Amino acid sequence: MHDTNTMKLSSLTCKDCSKAAVLFNSKKRILEFISQLAHEQLPHLSEQAILNSLLNREKLGSTGIGRGIAIPHGRMSGVETPLALILVSESPIKFDAIDNCPVDIFVALIVPDGDCQLHLKTLATIADKLNDKEFCKQLRSAKTDHDLYQVIVEQS
Amino acid sequence: MRLEDTFLIKNKLGLHARAASVLAQLALKFDATITLYQDDKQAAGDSVLALMLLESSQGKEVKVVCEGPDAKPALAAIGELIEQRFHEHE
Repeated sequence: MHDTNTMKLSSLTCKDCSKAAVLFNSKKRILEFISQLAHEQLPHLSEQAILNSLLNREKLGSTGIGRGIAIPHGRMSGVETPLALILVSESPIKFDAIDNCPVDIFVALIVPDGDCQLHLKTLATIADKLNDKEFCKQLRSAKTDHDLYQVIVEQS
Repeated sequence: MRLEDTFLIKNKLGLHARAASVLAQLALKFDATITLYQDDKQAAGDSVLALMLLESSQGKEVKVVCEGPDAKPALAAIGELIEQRFHEHE
């Protein structure tokens, strides 16, 4: 059996992938911003290709999984290891979430396609943290990108 | 009423985010407490996060326990969803 503790959220993300108090008012706009940030980390993938991958996934069903949390993700070839981008919105955004609540915590993932076990492990790693209400509260109270990254590094 | 059955995860991607969301949305439709068990882990059927923590991959067996007035239709519907590969192609 896999041990979820062997993968850490902090090891999937980076300082420039943590954005606090972002100001977007639509699903499309925040996904565009996520694509831009992901492109900076994965320059060999175009912003448009990343955006298409995220949008295609949303078409299959919203990644808004309830409690104000969404996990937009794209499985892409040319990605070696999963990349997580963590954004907290100043005000919640309508995201067609399964509980119809708007979303303010976004944990976006760009993951290698093909490796199903790795993908499940990555999802379990972020689910483990997001299931912790105190962790979510701390993410929501982070005022700056730096504070947000500190919460992630210290808590995961 | 309390009913349970064990189902094999057949779809290639396992209980990934979309499959977990579909299952959770289905679970919410019934007046029953639905719990999934795999190995030593358990998850509330209506929680996407909890379901993703099971890390259920293709070939794993999950036990579904339904308790409440809708236990029978709930177990049938969830069993069918898993058997039908969450409506995925592979």
